[in-house]
Amino acid sequence: MKNLTNILFASALAVALTSCEKSEPAANNVTLHFNNTFKDKTIVLGDANSTQATINTSANGQTHQFSELKYVISNIRLVKTDGQEVPYNINDLDKGATVIDHSKAATLDYVLSNIPTGDYKQLKFGLGIKQEINTLDEVRFPKFYATASANDTKMMWEWGTGYRFTKIEGFYGSDKKPLSIHTGSTLDGKREDPSTYIPGVNAYRDITLSLSETAVVGKGSPMITIKADFDKLLSGKTNTITLTSGRGPNDNATPNIHTADQMVKFVDNLGGNSKNDNSGMFSVVSVKN
Amino acid sequence: MKPTISILFLSLIVFALACSREDAEENLNIDNPEIQLAIPLDFPSLNEAVHRNPPTLYGVELGKKLFHEKKLSGNNTISCASCHQQANAFADSHPQAIGIYGRVGLRNTPPLQNLAFIKHYNWDGNKRELEKQPLVPIITHEEMNSSILEAIGKISKDQAYQILFRQAFGDSEITPDRIYKSIAQYEYTLLSINSKYDKIKRNEGLQFSVIEARGYQLFKSKCASCHSGELFTDQSFRNIGFPLNPSTEEAGRGRVTGIPADYMSFRVPSLRNIAYTAPYGSFGQFKTLQAVLDYMAEDVLEADNLDPILKANGNRIPMTAQEKSDIIAFLHTLSDESFITPQ
Repeated sequence: MKNLTNILFASALAVALTSCEKSEPAANNVTLHFNNTFKDKTIVLGDANSTQATINTSANGQTHQFSELKYVISNIRLVKTDGQEVPYNINDLDKGATVIDHSKAATLDYVLSNIPTGDYKQLKFGLGIKQEINTLDEVRFPKFYATASANDTKMMWEWGTGYRFTKIEGFYGSDKKPLSIHTGSTLDGKREDPSTYIPGVNAYRDITLSLSETAVVGKGSPMITIKADFDKLLSGKTNTITLTSGRGPNDNATPNIHTADQMVKFVDNLGGNSKNDNSGMFSVVSVKN
Repeated sequence: MKPTISILFLSLIVFALACSREDAEENLNIDNPEIQLAIPLDFPSLNEAVHRNPPTLYGVELGKKLFHEKKLSGNNTISCASCHQQANAFADSHPQAIGIYGRVGLRNTPPLQNLAFIKHYNWDGNKRELEKQPLVPIITHEEMNSSILEAIGKISKDQAYQILFRQAFGDSEITPDRIYKSIAQYEYTLLSINSKYDKIKRNEGLQFSVIEARGYQLFKSKCASCHSGELFTDQSFRNIGFPLNPSTEEAGRGRVTGIPADYMSFRVPSLRNIAYTAPYGSFGQFKTLQAVLDYMAEDVLEADNLDPILKANGNRIPMTAQEKSDIIAFLHTLSDESFITPQ
């Protein structure tokens, strides 16, 4: 009997999963479209010698360009005009989180399905993954784990057994020195239980964005276009950063960034400092109902 | 195509669950007693995690088998024991760990001993609970380069494991948590408490030689402010000005905490069995104990956060040649031959 139940369960699950894979336009879909830019220009990736790559100049006058650009979005919530917050699979990385990979056009659109009919005024999401579910749990979230661990993605931070939240590779300066900026949380355990507590850095940032106009769900399928302005990486609301290469504690251009100390400055610029800035590099540029 | 595969795989897991439940119902009375860890005299208290995952007879047996299991690696060539070799007090003799396809890791393999009493694991203390560690080598590119489901897929075909999981946990279901717990349980039982030093301390009829006794006195005045207590570590993190790892990935404790004062600080290692664990330092900078002491007696690297004790002594620990050899003689009394000998 138990076997039968399990088989039925597995089949139901299989059907459910299969239907998730199809993204036919439905009336209660909302598409989040991410436009990754330097200021108002959509970024073109390229290697050091590329003539196509978008070159940006920081507030401190440093030129820089990217060859790779990825970040994780999770914990998505839509807020209705009456203030009611609608969470979207916020505790399920397989159904509610995605890796935005600038080199893969399909990843720039993330479709939310079965959103309750109504008028929405605000979008909230996390840059990165909140601590409670930031474990590399392949059994619980096999789909997200597979995406993040893929060889062309590498959004896992093995030694911290958590996910990478942002991965940026590129070059800076006139001599095109490499830059490699990775962010992720190193925090673990519970502060109230010292035997488990790792006093690390929380690199997750909660983003709140007002919609430029009301998104009407139920009649059509709104598309919300979100600008992620990577000019803010070095020239942010919180920090103005100069990249330096080397092995000292303040060198920040290449993986010395793994000193969590330097990493936090980038995180605060990209995702806000969680004090007086809760949007970081993100803004909503349009809502198409 | 991919979703189809994952669906099949999910169904497989569900089937496996179903089977294991039946087994559990048939085998309710397995005698799997807890193993009492004897707390040696003057040792610190157990890590709290041990109380949450106390070693059991079959848990340890399973953990030992998994510890030596090469199927945990992507190409079935690397087990925990590949780097944690008993003859080296469960460390190895390479400067930096060597994993799958000969890939070289960031750091020196730490010995595994008396871990039930340790509060911070790894060179940078990024783990507080041993149960959270086994996944790291399994998924790390330079170590085993696999995934936990890949590993489970391979070992679940082995009937010996099905029996051991049932004996250890009541049914034969193989879960990540059970793998982590049993490996930790095995590691908790790796106690090294039978060195000459221990036997002298317990008045078992042995005595230090003249040189060792001199070394012990010197050790107490020159080393024991950090290498204190019966574990010979105060379990703190310090920057002692050792030569720096050329990898830009290395920041010591600083890569965990983000605090500038922790930059290039490392956990003070235990000195038990130190004679078996050459080379020394976070990436094996020193081939011998003599080389370590020679370096520390000269001039360590200056740093803002250099340990205050070293700063107060002009960035060095002054030692004469005679004093160094005396200290090394004492350090050899911390060698526990029974610990490195397979039972």
